[in-house]
Amino acid sequence: RSRAEVDATLQTAKLNSAELLPAVHCLSFGPQASAGECCLLQLEPGLCAELEAGRSLIIRGEKDEKAVLCSKDKTYDMKIADTSNMLLFIPGCKTPEELNADPASCNIIHSQIAGFSNNYWELRRCRPKLKKLRKLLMEDPYEGPSSQKDQTSTCSKYTTEDLLSLIQASEEEILHQLQVIDACKIEGYWRILEFSYEMKLLDHVTQLIDSESWSLNKVPLRTCLEELGSLEPREMIEHILLSYGRKYVDDGEVYFEMCEDKICRAIAQMLLQNAVKFNLSEFQEVWQQSVPEGMTTRLDQLKGLALVDKSSRPETIFLLKVEDLPEDNQERFNSLFSIREKWTEVDITPYIQDLCAEKQTVGALLTKYARSSMLNGVKVYNSRRPIS
Amino acid sequence: MVQIVISSGGTGALARWMLVELQGEVEPRQSGSLAESLLGDLHYTCEGIPVLIVGHHILYGKVVQLEKPFAVLVKQGGASQPSPGEPQGHYTVTALIKTKLLFKTRPKPIITHVPKKV
Repeated sequence: RSRAEVDATLQTAKLNSAELLPAVHCLSFGPQASAGECCLLQLEPGLCAELEAGRSLIIRGEKDEKAVLCSKDKTYDMKIADTSNMLLFIPGCKTPEELNADPASCNIIHSQIAGFSNNYWELRRCRPKLKKLRKLLMEDPYEGPSSQKDQTSTCSKYTTEDLLSLIQASEEEILHQLQVIDACKIEGYWRILEFSYEMKLLDHVTQLIDSESWSLNKVPLRTCLEELGSLEPREMIEHILLSYGRKYVDDGEVYFEMCEDKICRAIAQMLLQNAVKFNLSEFQEVWQQSVPEGMTTRLDQLKGLALVDKSSRPETIFLLKVEDLPEDNQERFNSLFSIREKWTEVDITPYIQDLCAEKQTVGALLTKYARSSMLNGVKVYNSRRPIS
Repeated sequence: MVQIVISSGGTGALARWMLVELQGEVEPRQSGSLAESLLGDLHYTCEGIPVLIVGHHILYGKVVQLEKPFAVLVKQGGASQPSPGEPQGHYTVTALIKTKLLFKTRPKPIITHVPKKV
């Protein structure tokens, strides 16, 4: 199009060119515009900067899963958003500010529309789907060097790369979760310790602390490795100290501040897993006697691990691990309500805390998935729908 | 599991494109594809209001800075059998869109007794 043609159009349209900027974009459809090769991805905050910095995003999902998009440290649900409008994407098209800022800008700018669409991919930040991680690592828990199992197949063992190709989560979320569940790398594969082996290692350490009369806050790594190195691999001794203590350096030596809550909790799990339920007061007595000297047991150490039944006479306690419950919100609530019909907020919170999305509260979850009522002057929650 | 990589191709800064949002659909004047055909002229008033002349219509719009920018993705050519663990698809980020011209008002028809051939 020429300037004359443009001006003629303006005249027909009865527009006053004095009221317009001098530059005009003549838009036409490019040769590939209808080919549908381009699509639009709406970017959540932070993702734009990731792409501009040259980093990649990855869409992950099995055929039967809903796709998610992962940056290096976050996971997003994806869905297609339809619009009744037509979206045209145009390279080299300038805003009024850009035209004004550049006085040399060409009078007639021929812009080709690269493509158009009436939908785009929309993202929403979501919880990474990490339950599968524990499930994969539990296929072949590490039972110690003396176990014959490890010599056989490597098919149920997973490297970081393997996990990235199987889990719908970002790399950082996966690595963080591996740390949370106290996984360790053995011969390049991520492993979880078999619980009784883990307790055996912990027992070695607590017995040593006792016989050496060390303070629970100052357990020396070097001496542990020297004394226990003949019983178990050094990496395992260090791993158990890292799992149940906080590492620090004092005067050039590495020490661990043992974590009372975590140790008491592990010992409770060891006791509780042997029966369907226990008499609460009997359990509390045995539990206190079983923990290392100087440690005090408290029921609140067992949040998300065990549940007390205050309605039975005598009161009982049973194992209920949050990590054994479903990952999906509705399924989780269904499962909890089939275990117990009515829950107080205090009791249910440890079992739904992990469902909270960014900035979502437990209260918001309860409002959405449960119905509240009063029972003996206490607020309780039950299912919104009948549980079969 | 399917893994599809979205990357920016790494060669320098990403291009900046613009989005133009129109109501309804765009159809070619003659039957046939849209490729190579004209859409219209895009002007701005001195106050920065975009004015689009499409066929016999004038559309007035506004410049909107997008709160959530778009990435324009182009699918890379069909891959031969990918091996397990390798990404099974690849999109390249061709451009980013941070601004759109939104034309929401109903088009004003241009009424003239002699439609000038342009």
